[in-house]
Amino acid sequence: MSGRHLLVAAEAAVLAGCVLLALVVIVIKVVRGQRQRRHEAALRPIRPALIEVASGEDEDGSARRALTATTGATRVAVDEGVADFLGKVRGGPADQLVEILRSHGALREAVRLLRHRSPVRRTRAALLLGLSRDRGGVPGLVEALDDHSAEVRSAAAHGLGLIGDDGSAPALLGAIAGPGGGIPAGVAAGALLELGVGIAPALREALASTDSRTRAVAAHVAGVGSFRSLLPLLRDLLAGDEDLTVREASAEAIGAMGEARDVDVLTRHTNPGEPTPLRRLCATALGRLGEPAAVPTLEQLARDPDPRLAELAATALVGLGPEGRAALAGLADTPGGATALTLARLQGALA
Amino acid sequence: MPATDGVRILVADDDADIRDLVEFKLSQAGYTVHAVPDGMAAWDAFRADPPDLVVLDVMMPGLSGFDVLRNIRESEHREVAVLLLSAKSRDSDVDTGFAVGADDYVIKPFSPRELVHRVNGILARTRG
Amino acid sequence: MSWAAMLDALRVGLTWVMDVTSVPVIAYFLVINTSYLVLITLAALEFRSYLRQRDSAVRSLGGELTPGVSLVVPAYNEEAVIVTAVKAMLTLRYPQHEVVVVDDGSGDATFARLQEAFDLVELPRQVPADIPVRARVLGVHVPRDGRTRLQVVRKENSGRSEAINLGINAASEPLVAMIDADSILEPDALLHVAKPFADDPTRMVATGGTIRPVNGSRVVAGRLVDLQMPRGWLGRIQVVEYLRAFLLGRSGWSRMGGLILISGAFGLFRRDVVVEVGGLDPESIGEDFELVMRIHRRMRDERRDYRVQFVPEPVSWTEVPSTLGVLRNQRRRWHRGLWETLWAYRGMLFRPRYGRVGWVALPYYWLFELFAPLLELFGLIVVPLALILDVISVPFALLFLALAYGYAVLVALAAMSVEEWAFHRYDRWRDLALGVLSAVLENIGYRQLTVWWRLQGWWASLRNKKQVWGVMTRTGFDEGVG
Repeated sequence: MSGRHLLVAAEAAVLAGCVLLALVVIVIKVVRGQRQRRHEAALRPIRPALIEVASGEDEDGSARRALTATTGATRVAVDEGVADFLGKVRGGPADQLVEILRSHGALREAVRLLRHRSPVRRTRAALLLGLSRDRGGVPGLVEALDDHSAEVRSAAAHGLGLIGDDGSAPALLGAIAGPGGGIPAGVAAGALLELGVGIAPALREALASTDSRTRAVAAHVAGVGSFRSLLPLLRDLLAGDEDLTVREASAEAIGAMGEARDVDVLTRHTNPGEPTPLRRLCATALGRLGEPAAVPTLEQLARDPDPRLAELAATALVGLGPEGRAALAGLADTPGGATALTLARLQGALA
Repeated sequence: MPATDGVRILVADDDADIRDLVEFKLSQAGYTVHAVPDGMAAWDAFRADPPDLVVLDVMMPGLSGFDVLRNIRESEHREVAVLLLSAKSRDSDVDTGFAVGADDYVIKPFSPRELVHRVNGILARTRG
Repeated sequence: MSWAAMLDALRVGLTWVMDVTSVPVIAYFLVINTSYLVLITLAALEFRSYLRQRDSAVRSLGGELTPGVSLVVPAYNEEAVIVTAVKAMLTLRYPQHEVVVVDDGSGDATFARLQEAFDLVELPRQVPADIPVRARVLGVHVPRDGRTRLQVVRKENSGRSEAINLGINAASEPLVAMIDADSILEPDALLHVAKPFADDPTRMVATGGTIRPVNGSRVVAGRLVDLQMPRGWLGRIQVVEYLRAFLLGRSGWSRMGGLILISGAFGLFRRDVVVEVGGLDPESIGEDFELVMRIHRRMRDERRDYRVQFVPEPVSWTEVPSTLGVLRNQRRRWHRGLWETLWAYRGMLFRPRYGRVGWVALPYYWLFELFAPLLELFGLIVVPLALILDVISVPFALLFLALAYGYAVLVALAAMSVEEWAFHRYDRWRDLALGVLSAVLENIGYRQLTVWWRLQGWWASLRNKKQVWGVMTRTGFDEGVG
């Protein structure tokens, strides 16, 4: 019966598969253990010297010389070990560690490795260039922002942030909406914030991007980095962007660094027609803005039917000086006002 | 510079590099250092023989640095000085640390020299 | 009619049945297990990328654009664990989070313990009614220091869903997670499940983390410190089950963009989206599943660009049933919830607007999750019957059963290999061996029991058909509602 033979064959295949997988489980565990041990063995002879340099205790330079003079497999282990420590220490010891890498030609090698077949090697190379804070790595890393592999792109973005060359800002912002997922928004924002004030033109352009993620990142960075020249654009985004998250990011940015005229801007978006989360965020932003001119608006909002909005408005009054506190005292009959007063007293912000 | 003879420090970090580095650096400074690889071991070591200062990494599997700190502050040796080590993150992490009762906070990547200064400073304050 | 004649007739009938159904039934088993293998492969690919990112020391966890999280904890008579749980949650590593405990009219000392441990004072706070909640709110309390980010909201007892909805109302952060009081979280749990939101802030609406059984492990002050395989076989088998079903099934789906089930014990959602779709449905048994379905439908109806992502990292640990009775009730309830939700959302099937959810994920769930126990039961009854009546031979029957269940063991072993490679949380050889054994044992008795229980749950739901229709009318296709 061919049906029977088919069954037997299928069953044999399944059985073989089971045995194979059980073996695979065992092998994976064994290999992992071995790899760990091999790595540790390669590292053991030079680790004390490495720790001496990384902790800044290598006063006579003998450890540095020993590490620099290594060759072959030991040198590879040294370079890996140095890369590990570079992520963990800074200051004098970090500079000394980078010098060891440079003397081994590891930085030049890393630029070359950015084109290696294996994404694992490319990622490690990108990280190394970033940790070494070597400007020579910037062109290679910018190119790596378009890598096929998500982890390489991420490492490249992170590395560019560590190096701090503001010329890489346009590339970073452009890569957010890149193909295959681009780079993570948070990584991009973190990197951009390390690049200094020179990124303003790139941010300006990004605020007009067709990609909502890019606009959100640009708005966020503008606020955290206090790029006041971008306020007009942020006001426009708050008023009319199609994406609620972008509008929220813009509101937060305006609250963080806005001017007196932004009291009106933010007030406009606390009106009842606006989305509830945005209304609440703008109320908080009014408090953050720190302009006493906002007190009348907040007083009114503290009596809004939305209890959360009312409480946020009342809380915002706490930080607005004597006028704010006087207004808040007048709100003691409302749940929002009473809550804000109680919390402020508990926190010691009020007598 | 306070006398470091006989001052015992407990260091807990699951990252072997940092653990060995901190142990080495503080030993060079003259302290007696005991290093452990995780929160549970730190808590056990603390209970067995309370040190003069504890250096805790915040990010450890199982019991985190915050957890160990919390336990210390609720124990009978709650006045032992604690310094937290943490990866770079927003200020709220630092706030949590101080709220739970840390004496000081060092952010990674850190300067080893600065770490020693902080340790000296805490011990000078707490040991009078 | 004589006894022999009746048996003969039965034999003939059974031969006919076997002829007609044996191929489809075998095919069914082959397809379901092959689909699991496909999902596992997809999951393995996703893990490779995830692991590389995680191990490459790009410490972007908790960095810029990490949104605040409110942990909503519904609590009913949890006096034994609540204080430990809340303390553990407050000290999770996260830049910005708060804990919102909702005391669902507990009759025990739940509130008293919280009040004492945190020195709670009452606030005149009015909780917003973003999601309509029927039960009366009895008060909002916070710690006296005014800084500890804890809210305890008391309400009249009306069930877990309403408690969660009230917690979401009271939440002040843009993301909400629903955590049971007896769940144990990894210290970095929030960092992991919030990362997709930081990576894609404009589109991500929900993420889910992995839950694993904690039975038999060492837990100290609400933290897992030593993971071990559970002591009883029931627990061990569930470990394998969770590995396969939760971790790999969902991870595979996530890669295909079709994630529809986020386990209730650890889902992280955008608060505004949950409010928009109306929160948890108190009438639905499939609570969390139903919420995710509603979100999918709303997003696609409005043609919004959105994403739902699964985070493979183990982030939450829970006690799984260790007795047959409790397990039985759980499985009945799960399958009932599955049925009711799939039925309620049947309008999404095969409509272009619903993309992969409507064309791939839902049909898959209907065919292979919902109907699976039915087909297995069929196989379980027909095959032995055919064997007894000499319609098929013993070797054939054995082969058939072995293929159906042997393949399942293969799938379970594949799941374990991927877990060992990716996370290797079970360190000891002994635990691995127990896992392999459990993968086999699962198919000898345990699985058959769950088949029966799942069918019981389904049948119970069908019998109460009136209520089911009631659910449907409320959450079904009334676009004007909620």
